[in-house]
Amino acid sequence: MSNILFSNRTISTLAVVALALLPFFINNLYYVHIATTIAIYWIVVAGLNLLVGFCGQLSVGHIGLLAIGSYTMVLAGIHLGVPPLLGLLLSGIVCGFVGLLLGLPSLRLSGFYFAMVTLAFGQIVAEAALSEQWLTNGSMGLPAPEMPALLSSKYGLYAVCAAIALVITLITKNIASSLWGSSLIAIRDADIAARSLGIRIFRAKLITFVFSGFTAGVGGGLFALSHNYITPDAYTFDLSLFFFVSIIIGGRGAILGPFLGMAVLTALPEMVSSLAKYSTFFYGTILLLVALLAPGGFSELIRQFGFRKGRQAVPVASDPDLGMLRKEIVEPTN
Amino acid sequence: VGYVIVAGLALGATYALTALVYNTMYSTSKVLNFGAGQFAMAGGIICAWVMLSLHQPLWVATIAVIAVGALFGALTELVAVRRVMADSDSHLWVLTTLALATIVEQAVGLVWGWDPTPFPRLFKQPMGTLLDQKFWLPVAVAIAATVLLDLFYRRTMLGKSFLAVAEDEVAARARGVSSAKVRCLSYMLAGVVGAISGMAAGQLNFADPSLGMRLGLGGFLALAVGGMGSSVGALIGGLFAGLLNSFSTDLFGAQYSDAVALGVLAIILIIRPLGLFGISNTRSV
Repeated sequence: MSNILFSNRTISTLAVVALALLPFFINNLYYVHIATTIAIYWIVVAGLNLLVGFCGQLSVGHIGLLAIGSYTMVLAGIHLGVPPLLGLLLSGIVCGFVGLLLGLPSLRLSGFYFAMVTLAFGQIVAEAALSEQWLTNGSMGLPAPEMPALLSSKYGLYAVCAAIALVITLITKNIASSLWGSSLIAIRDADIAARSLGIRIFRAKLITFVFSGFTAGVGGGLFALSHNYITPDAYTFDLSLFFFVSIIIGGRGAILGPFLGMAVLTALPEMVSSLAKYSTFFYGTILLLVALLAPGGFSELIRQFGFRKGRQAVPVASDPDLGMLRKEIVEPTN
Repeated sequence: VGYVIVAGLALGATYALTALVYNTMYSTSKVLNFGAGQFAMAGGIICAWVMLSLHQPLWVATIAVIAVGALFGALTELVAVRRVMADSDSHLWVLTTLALATIVEQAVGLVWGWDPTPFPRLFKQPMGTLLDQKFWLPVAVAIAATVLLDLFYRRTMLGKSFLAVAEDEVAARARGVSSAKVRCLSYMLAGVVGAISGMAAGQLNFADPSLGMRLGLGGFLALAVGGMGSSVGALIGGLFAGLLNSFSTDLFGAQYSDAVALGVLAIILIIRPLGLFGISNTRSV
């Protein structure tokens, strides 16, 4: 087991380093853009992963937090002249706070109820962004602030996104392998048992939710920077579903799996642009197939294969000898 | 104000019907289907398509809508529910029903287009009165569905076997009720009720692929108010949710009706996490 964990860690470290360096060897700006998008989405997904994958709280409304992050960034830049890098921090803090406000009532609810409330939250933010024209300029959108000179190129933005993604990955990795991560999994799998062990369920959920709000806010700020211009129609339920699906197909309670799932799902529609129209249909189909056939996602499949190789112990079901049993029960009465 | 009340009642009736659909499926399977609103969406789209594009009369459209509802219900049970029933603890059904709802919504949008399309008049009646069919039809269907479902559950053998499975599945199986079959039938029933509600409310909501999600939320609010498993509660909760929506639209504008609804939902769920009349089924340790 520790061996597998170790190899996982090695692979993920190598993957992160390779990914961080990759775009600098490619001269195609479009690929740099895709890599930037993957890094930004990963920042959001990494935080959401702790909430969905570890803590088992099925939030499908993080798009609302992402949107708030983007608008915070842009509005702070326009009205207060906050520089973008500080704006990122501000978006994170604002979204963490919104996450706190949203989490206080909603995290008391069980699975489906929580999902419904988060879904409604996402819808409300999207509608508010569209209708509050004095603030968001409605469907016309707002321009994002410029990055400082050194980082204003596509490569510079990528470097920033990759660096933040790396830091957030390390944080989630540390949380996941700590006692805290284990207690989150305990809440997901057996909340009553977790409570009897002295885990303060609500507090743990709330902290996780606030953290995921923070990463969604930072991700939202970067999202605005990478798009130069933000409009409400970029923050649809489809994108929320996409974050959610990449965690589920990657595997709950893992970090590498969701990253790979998210990267593949981001790159595919970009590479084959004629399929972009069908992407949400495709996410739904994948979600259904994974939930039915491999509820543990890719990580679970990999782990199972790892076990099969290592150990051959297969439990053999033994048939009870009904004849004997009957004899023993019936004969004494005779 | 008259218009606000009438529109609110009509909208509330569609929410009540969606809450009934939730209830019908929940009672036999203990699954809250994310796609509860999708039946109505499918019914509305099919009805508009059969009547406007294929130029068929109302009775053909009605048969088509019922058939689609039953088929969609059976599909939901077979694909999204049956296989994940075994471990209901892990909430896997939230994922499967969400996935199926998304697939259907996307498929309908890709085939029939994403824009809301106008809906045919179902009966001849002068337009523009407060007693227009787009208002009374959903209310009539909601009341009829509540009464008929109640009669079905109380008076027919099949309905009683539904109740038996809802009450205690193991005991029902021991008495020779095929719980899988009953569950599948209850989903078909839910599909038919949902599809007909979509048809009845078509002139109010238009034939719109994204309707399912909105109805799912509204119906859920109705369920939270009215309580799980009660038909009358669903009706009252639905009418409450509809009037709330209608009045908040009138007072604050359409963009805030969802926010007000969510706020009320949050307050209700904080006070009673399982709905106003819900029964706690937390396992005591």
